[in-house]
Amino acid sequence: MWLDDGGTVLSSALRLTAPLAFAACGEYLAERAGTLNISVEGMMLSGAFGAVAVGSATGSPTVGLVAGAVVGLLVALVHANLSHRIQINTFVVGLVINTLVLGLTSFLLQTMEFSRTQVGMLRIPGLADIPLVGVLFEQRWPFYLLLLVVPLTWFLVNRTRWGLELRAVGENPQAADVTGIKVNLRRRQALMWCGVMSGLGGAYLSVGLVGSFNNNMTAGRGFIVIAAVIFGAWRLKGTLLGCFLFGAADALRLALPSLGVELNPQLLVAAPYLLALTVMVLMARSQREPRALSKPFERGLV
Amino acid sequence: MSHDRARTDGSVPALELRGISKRYGPVVACDAVDLTVERGEVHGLLGENGAGKSTLMKVLMGLVSPDAGEIHRDGARVEVHTPQQAAGHGLGMVHQHFSLIEPLTVWENVALGEPGRIDRDAVCADVEAVGARYGLTIDPTARVERLSAGERQRVELIKALRRDPKVLVLDEPTSVLTIAESAALFEVLRTSVAAEGRGVILISHKLAEITAATDVVTVLRRGRLAFHCRTADTSAPELARRMVGRDVSLQAEGAALGLVVTDDPAKHLSPVLAGGLSAVPAEPPAPQAPADVPGTAALALHGLRLAGPDGRVLLDSLDLEVATGEIVALYGVEGNGQATLGDLLSGLIAPDAGEVHVAGRPVALDRPGALHEAGVGVIPEDRHRSGVVLDMSVADNLVMTDLRRYSGRLLMRRAKIRAQAEELVERFAIRTPSIDAPLRTLSGGNQQRVVLARELSAEPTVLVAAQPTHGLDVGAIEDMFARLREAAASGVAVLLISTELEEVMALASRIAVISSGRITGVLDVADASPQRLGMLVGGEAA
Repeated sequence: MWLDDGGTVLSSALRLTAPLAFAACGEYLAERAGTLNISVEGMMLSGAFGAVAVGSATGSPTVGLVAGAVVGLLVALVHANLSHRIQINTFVVGLVINTLVLGLTSFLLQTMEFSRTQVGMLRIPGLADIPLVGVLFEQRWPFYLLLLVVPLTWFLVNRTRWGLELRAVGENPQAADVTGIKVNLRRRQALMWCGVMSGLGGAYLSVGLVGSFNNNMTAGRGFIVIAAVIFGAWRLKGTLLGCFLFGAADALRLALPSLGVELNPQLLVAAPYLLALTVMVLMARSQREPRALSKPFERGLV
Repeated sequence: MSHDRARTDGSVPALELRGISKRYGPVVACDAVDLTVERGEVHGLLGENGAGKSTLMKVLMGLVSPDAGEIHRDGARVEVHTPQQAAGHGLGMVHQHFSLIEPLTVWENVALGEPGRIDRDAVCADVEAVGARYGLTIDPTARVERLSAGERQRVELIKALRRDPKVLVLDEPTSVLTIAESAALFEVLRTSVAAEGRGVILISHKLAEITAATDVVTVLRRGRLAFHCRTADTSAPELARRMVGRDVSLQAEGAALGLVVTDDPAKHLSPVLAGGLSAVPAEPPAPQAPADVPGTAALALHGLRLAGPDGRVLLDSLDLEVATGEIVALYGVEGNGQATLGDLLSGLIAPDAGEVHVAGRPVALDRPGALHEAGVGVIPEDRHRSGVVLDMSVADNLVMTDLRRYSGRLLMRRAKIRAQAEELVERFAIRTPSIDAPLRTLSGGNQQRVVLARELSAEPTVLVAAQPTHGLDVGAIEDMFARLREAAASGVAVLLISTELEEVMALASRIAVISSGRITGVLDVADASPQRLGMLVGGEAA
């Protein structure tokens, strides 16, 4: 009995972790390059919308998924050029983007009609029958993209020259500039990776989990991703663990009533965010933060 | 001109800069500067702060694009617009600051800024090979933040030398090194110049270093080429004169320029000391004052201990006393805890253990403003960071630490502020168009006078002066020295935190040496020689 319940909750936790994990791969990389990107929320929401819009127009949720990533990239391009080319404060840019995306998607949702569009399940025979962990092998197929994206993100940051330069830019942009790295170009590129990943995360939420778009469907998941990066002390493994923690909290919230536990529903809705807040308070003083995080770089200024 | 000379020799210079000009708005940083570096030569580039040395080298390294001028390598004109192009033309530089990324490892730093795929093992092997060739041993997998200043300098050198530069530029390379480390550095330079035919440009404002280590010297003054000659044909006083543009007395100025470092300091230092200490009436008894009246030193630091966020020990059981009317210098190489102590005495951080007593009374260090109330004035090391607000007016900057004296319950007392500002501008000879001018428009020396005037106007018991002459020109240094002596003579206990040996010798009656956050020895200035200080600085008892 409890195995079944456990399996259900775990399955739900994994499904809710996946969108966070995609976006977290992007946010982690952007923060290592020195941008505390708060528009990750807007990127996810626009990705979710774009995926449903294109998916229902073309009839292919897979095309929708790709479109979600592209829309995320477009939002990232706007953010990158505003904050790392003409040097507008990155938080102001992020706030504006988040508000704009929320308003725009609400408006478009009212003026347009979408049909249901959802990607298919992928069940790995045999493995999916294992009790409890079997749920790992019975997911919407883009879930398995994480197996590609997570190691790729790690490899990019920790093994390539590009990643070394990103880390240098996030730690000490003046020194990076002196050694000949184009600081703001690297930061823009990092943001674009973040846009693609966040768009994908948002798209997974809409065409993956739900099959449709509803108003403000990310509901602050982008901010949860930022909390996860802080929780993980700017390391990928910890960041993903943080995502799972928040995903599990979300899953429990959904599962508790059906398991017969009575709790105030408003409090339950707030639970993951309370957890995020607690984690940030506990981890905010971590000394592993990139030293130039959210510090703009302009040549000649020291 | 230099081009013609090269042709008559039949050899082509390794590097030639012709007519380099660069202006930033109305400020001319470089004005048609020519510079020729031959193969196998150490070329000294000398000048005061702001003379244009750094701008010239940034142009050479592709970090700044010049308004006019040409760069020639081995006789052929080259374009240098990026650091990569500079490296491609065989130009390498060891920067004074800002070029190592602390959380990265040695090999990652060495590999940074190069094109192509990254090969950890090859870079590590290179680091070890270059290290072995020049005697610069270092662990390629160590994190830079764990390394000492000397070791970091080695990493910089390895990084530059690994790319086999034909011309190597060193920008103020000894500012963070002990005397022994500096000697080792110049040893490496000699090998790499003589045996391998490189050209080296050594940028410095220390005359002793230039005269000892270079073959040819070029002096810049206010962006122009002021003097050029073989080092053997000139002398330190002449270079000083060329650098400053007028005769330099062997007093504060001489000290500021590094004229007094010789093997026999007593002989050369005596006039400086006489000049320095004549202004302090209580000269001989000063060191004895704490002994006479135990426990009433104006400033007493007891067992100060502080660890950094990463667990590194910054201050380690530090004890020090400064008596009324005495100037005590805290001397050491940069990065041995001086900045931490300066921050601590400014009230920016509280120690993990230990006490600070001012005039015999302990100060509650965890309460903001407690040190200021107890009578500690501070000239901070980085005045732009914690000394002044550049965009506020001279008047506002002059009163900002003591606002309670100039305000009622709710409003500022403008008239009182203006009267005080006018008086201080007059008394401290601050050159400013008006007391309403933003501080940014003043020269560095006058900004520093504003800080000094403000701190002394609060009539402190103790004045902490952290690198008070850093970045100032010679005239301003002279003035600062005079004012510090004056303050001591009027009964202020002065703690001078300095990395400049000459400054310490010229001003202080006692010298405490700090190394790795602890006092390794306290010497009366009469007993202090560069050798003894050097050993203490390196952490050995002298």
